[in-house]
Formats: sequence, structure tokens, C-alpha cells
Amino acid sequence: MSSATATHSLHIDRGTAEDLDHLFAHWQERRDPVAREALVKRFMPLTRSLARRYDRSSEPFDDLLQVASVGLLKAIDRFDPLRGHSFPSFAVPTILGEMRRYFRDCGWSVHVPRGDQERALKVRDAQETLSSEYGHAPTVSQLSQYLELETEQVLDALQATQAYESLSLDAPRPGSEDDTITFGDGMGREDERYELVDLDATIVAAIQHIPARERAMLHMRFVEDSTQTEIAARLGISQMQVSRLLRRSLDQLRALTRDPSEV
Amino acid sequence: MADSPPNVRLELVNTAESVVLVREMLSGVGEAIELDPSDLNDARTAVTEACNNVVLHAYRGKPGPLEIELYLGGSSLDVLVRDQGIGLPAEPRSLEVDTGGIGLHVIQTLTQAVEFTDGPDGGTEVWMQFSAPGTSSIAPLRDDGGEARTLALPGKPTTTICIAPVSLARTILPRLIVTLAAHAHFSTDRISDAQLLADALVEHAQAAISGDKLSIDVTVEPRDLELHVSPLNAGRARRLIEESSLGEVAGVIEKLTDRHEVVSTDTHETLTLRLSDRR
Repeated sequence: MSSATATHSLHIDRGTAEDLDHLFAHWQERRDPVAREALVKRFMPLTRSLARRYDRSSEPFDDLLQVASVGLLKAIDRFDPLRGHSFPSFAVPTILGEMRRYFRDCGWSVHVPRGDQERALKVRDAQETLSSEYGHAPTVSQLSQYLELETEQVLDALQATQAYESLSLDAPRPGSEDDTITFGDGMGREDERYELVDLDATIVAAIQHIPARERAMLHMRFVEDSTQTEIAARLGISQMQVSRLLRRSLDQLRALTRDPSEV
Repeated sequence: MADSPPNVRLELVNTAESVVLVREMLSGVGEAIELDPSDLNDARTAVTEACNNVVLHAYRGKPGPLEIELYLGGSSLDVLVRDQGIGLPAEPRSLEVDTGGIGLHVIQTLTQAVEFTDGPDGGTEVWMQFSAPGTSSIAPLRDDGGEARTLALPGKPTTTICIAPVSLARTILPRLIVTLAAHAHFSTDRISDAQLLADALVEHAQAAISGDKLSIDVTVEPRDLELHVSPLNAGRARRLIEESSLGEVAGVIEKLTDRHEVVSTDTHETLTLRLSDRR
């Protein structure tokens, strides 16, 4: 690669769509690393903002950014300007896909074999589909018929999702292909309505440790008597997600209020 | 084995659903004693073979009891599968023969030791031993003078679950209740409620029972699950419900169930909890 070509690429790195085409051509046809560098630099803010959507998960931000950057590099390699789409419209799903794969492989708080993970996610998605079809959550036998799985496999999948810590509120919602809606978006300001009144000091102290959205869920389930499916619809998350968070927050509350002399 | 009472006892009927329940119980035990996943898989497979034999052959297609006892200790996990069926044919102890569908080879391969004997009331007992280094974390049980029978529920198919010590139930009972709720055709929504109820029971039962054993009879009917927790000390059933209250989260047990009832006898109380799925 001659330095003249590289210099030629570099001077257009703040340019228009035409310049972008030029950079892609330089990278894809001539493997010009300077062109790729310019593209990476240009789309790093987009990549960073996508990685930030997962920032409240348990993964360190630097790791997330690294995974997102791998997604960006793949998108740069595969993008075909001649198809007439803009690069961001191609890159966003590629980057999110990369992050999703990462969470599938690494995001399980206990080791769950890959096949079981895939199955658990399938069960979760089928549960969403059938819930909206029937107007209520499906039974295990309906899920097993729909997915052509054994009852026991569905039961195991339900157990496995309890281990899935990283399906955070910021993970893309199932079925939202454009990935513009996240779990968090459905929350709104629901949680601010739940004030703590007339509780004894131990409970007040304990409940401060429960995140606001989980307090809101506890209130909806146990004070307002909403079903888990209704809560899920209200918060724009899955019923399995509600199930997992309710279980976890009840567990935390018990641990925090347990009389040490009884342990 | 069996000098001390079992850590887990299940009284079931010989259906395919019961086998799923036994497998889920083993998974819960595996989690409690941190059994290596492949060892757990071996135990599940061997025990499944023994249970399938009861389901398919022991009663010649008729309904009959299937009883499971599980013992932990001495770095091993022992499982006894008992039926009151037709008993062993004359030559089944020869492991060369795969008699009547029983996966003798499978069981022999996957166990540390195995024994087939005639049961005390007829039928067959299959005793299987598996290596399980994590059992030292389980406190030895004292013999509490045999089984206090829980509520008899004539005419209703009942599953009896006994777990000791109660702390062991933490990983087992929720799985069993989830499985039974699935068999009762509950929606996943209500199945999850059943799981939360099982968590609450495990947490609060300890203070309500005299020994360290949790005994629950469960009846399963379409969209209905009834749990009978017994024997509880006098005055404790009500307290068990009240103690499940967590401030704002008033009475977890009360909220999750459709009906609860306390029945007192001279010596003890039984707490009945009914969950329905009225979707």
C-alpha cells in the first residue's frame, strides 16, 4: 500500500456519504488499514452509545465496548454500499447481535450449557408469543407442544432462566428487531408512586436495599394484586423476567429481615 | 445405609409424571450438595430406569404406589426405589438379563453399588448408591420415631413430600411444587407464584415444626393445587402465614394462595393452602 493512497484516504475522514463510500471501497477492495481506521473512528461514538445501553449490567463497560467494537469491525467488513442502505442501519443490528451473543455465552451467573441457554431463550420467546395470542400466560404443556419439546425440557428451561442474571432491563426485547426499545423504556415513572408508609424500622431499612423497579413489582403483585402477566405488560418486560425479579427481591428482603438469632 | 431417617421421601403413584418429579428432586439435591453435573446426570439416569420399571411393569399397567427414599451421608447419595407390585421374577438378579425392560445394565454401570431385593410388603426394592463428596455439608438426622402420617385424603391422588433437614428443602421444594403446578395445567404465571409460595414455606416452616422435617401432602387436580403442611405445633400455622409478611409485601403466603385453612387436632395443626389458576 503506497503512502500516497493512505494520505488520500485520510483527508476525507470527516466527509459526506460519498466520502464514506470511498473509505469502504479503500478498505474492502484494497485492504487499506488507514481507511478502516478512519471508519472505526467515525463510528466509534455510535458503538459507544450502543455499548452504554448495556452499561447497567454486571459486565465492566470496557468489556462491553470491546465486544461492541468487534461488532463494528464485522459490520465494516461486511457492509455493501451498493445495496443502497446507510451504514448505520446495517451496523446497529450487527453490533447488537454481537453483544447479544456475548451475553448468551458469558452472561449466565452459573454455568448453563449452551444448548440449555438456547432452549431457555426459545422458551422465553415462545412464552411471549403465546401470551399475546391467548391473552394469558401459556401452560407448560402448551409451551412443549409449540416448541416440540418434552415437558421436562420446558421445566428445566424455566429453571435455567432463573440463573440468567444478565438479561438485564437494558437487553433488547424479544421480537423488537430494530432494537430501539429496551426493557427499561417500558418502565416510565411507575416506581416513583410507591411510597413507604407505616412500616417497622427493620422493613424500612431492608426495603431501601431493593431497587426501585423491584419495589414497584412487589407493590403491584402483593398490594395491588396484579398478576405477573399484567405486571409484565405494564413494565414492558417478559413474565419470566417478572418471575425472576420477584423471586430475587423476596429472597433479598428475607435475608435482610431475618432475625440473626434464628439462623 | 438407612440407620437414620431419609433426607427425602416421596410417596407417588406409578405415572410418567411421577418420574419427572423424581428427576427434579434429584436435581434439587444435586444443587444442594453441589454434585458434579455429570454425576448428577448419572444418578438421574439410573434412578429414572428404576422408576420407569415401576411405571411400566411392576403393576402390569394398573395404578400402584411408587416410593422413593434418598439418603445423604458418608460421601454418598443413596436412593431407594420401592414398589408393591408383582415382585422380581425368579432370575432377575442376574444382571446379564435385561428383565422386563428394566435397564439393569444402565443401573449397574452408573451406580457405585446396586441391590435388588423383595420389598417388606411384596414388590421390589432397588437400592442404588452414588458417589457424592458434598454430603458432609448435610447435618446427620436424628431418628424422630418414624413417620407421622400427614393428612389422609381419600380418593384424591396425593403426592407426599418429606424433606429433612428443612434447610435442604430450599433447592428441592420449589422444583417439586413447580413440577406439580405444571402437571395441574397451571400457566407459567401461576407456576411462578407456586414457586414463590414454596420459597416462603421453606423460609418460615422451620419455626412452626417440632423436628427438622418438612412434610407436605399435595393433591393435584386440573388448575388446582392443594398443599397440606403438617404436623405443625399448636398455634404455629397461623403464625407461619403471618411471618411471611414483609412489611409492604403483606402476607406473601396469603396473597399467593386462593384459600388457606388451619385444622387443629389434639396434638398438632395442619395448614392447608390452595392455589388455583383462574385465567
